[in-house]
Amino acid sequence: MEFEETPKQQYSETEKQNIFNNEFMPHINSMYNFGYRLTLDQDDSKDLVQDTYLKAYRFIDSFQQGTNAKAWLFRILKNSFINDYRKKSKEPSKVDYQEVESYYNSEEVDRQITPDLRVEALQDMIGDEISNALNSLDVDFRTVIILCDLEGFKYDEMAKILDIPIGTVRSRLHRARNLLKEKLSEYAKQMGYKNA
Amino acid sequence: MSNPDQSKMKQDCETQRECMEMLQLIVDGEATPEQKSNFLNNHLEQCMPCYKNYHLEVAIRQLLKSKCASQAPQELVDSIKAKVIQNLAS
Repeated sequence: MEFEETPKQQYSETEKQNIFNNEFMPHINSMYNFGYRLTLDQDDSKDLVQDTYLKAYRFIDSFQQGTNAKAWLFRILKNSFINDYRKKSKEPSKVDYQEVESYYNSEEVDRQITPDLRVEALQDMIGDEISNALNSLDVDFRTVIILCDLEGFKYDEMAKILDIPIGTVRSRLHRARNLLKEKLSEYAKQMGYKNA
Repeated sequence: MSNPDQSKMKQDCETQRECMEMLQLIVDGEATPEQKSNFLNNHLEQCMPCYKNYHLEVAIRQLLKSKCASQAPQELVDSIKAKVIQNLAS
């Protein structure tokens, strides 16, 4: 559990309030977006984010000032999602993890990927295409794209947030991006881009 | 990056899989400076598929950033703050 690893701090009430307001709250938009992309439901996302912030406050003595508050918060949110929400979320039950990962690690998939998706086609995607494409991915693939491409976390930070080795972060990102491109090519084709 | 003469670029990449991995390391800011300059100077501008892939990767990230971020509702922010203050008082 994330709260047991670091030596406990002993902050005064004022210090706690300062940390909460100045280090935790500035990440509220990123946190809400992460919650929304995980649950795909606005109400669930609000609950998840609120639970996360209250948990963060309750365990604030486990947060070391000067360390990455955003990564710390994201990790709590991700764990809360897995423990409390994933079971009851509306998503269909998950395919076996190993199976998915080894399938997408096979050479087969790389060969299928059309590298012909064009930048011009992307520039015409002014609606919800990219958002829908992202939401259509399996939650584990969706997650790495959000953490890396949207939030700018480094691989080692992602490894800590997700509790997986860096090698897995890299391979999962690689597969996730291929799947996203596949989805975007479908949209591009529907938009009339022949070579997309 | 300059705008290379596309007619002089090679149209096939024999190492596309490895190149793609390097390309993502670069775009993610995880490549070493040597890896980066080596790839950008010695490969990218001579190789059409990699050149296209690079621009595609960059465009997808821009699209994600511009279309997939959202703002937390004000009521959520207020509610969190209220609950924490309550917590302080108790």
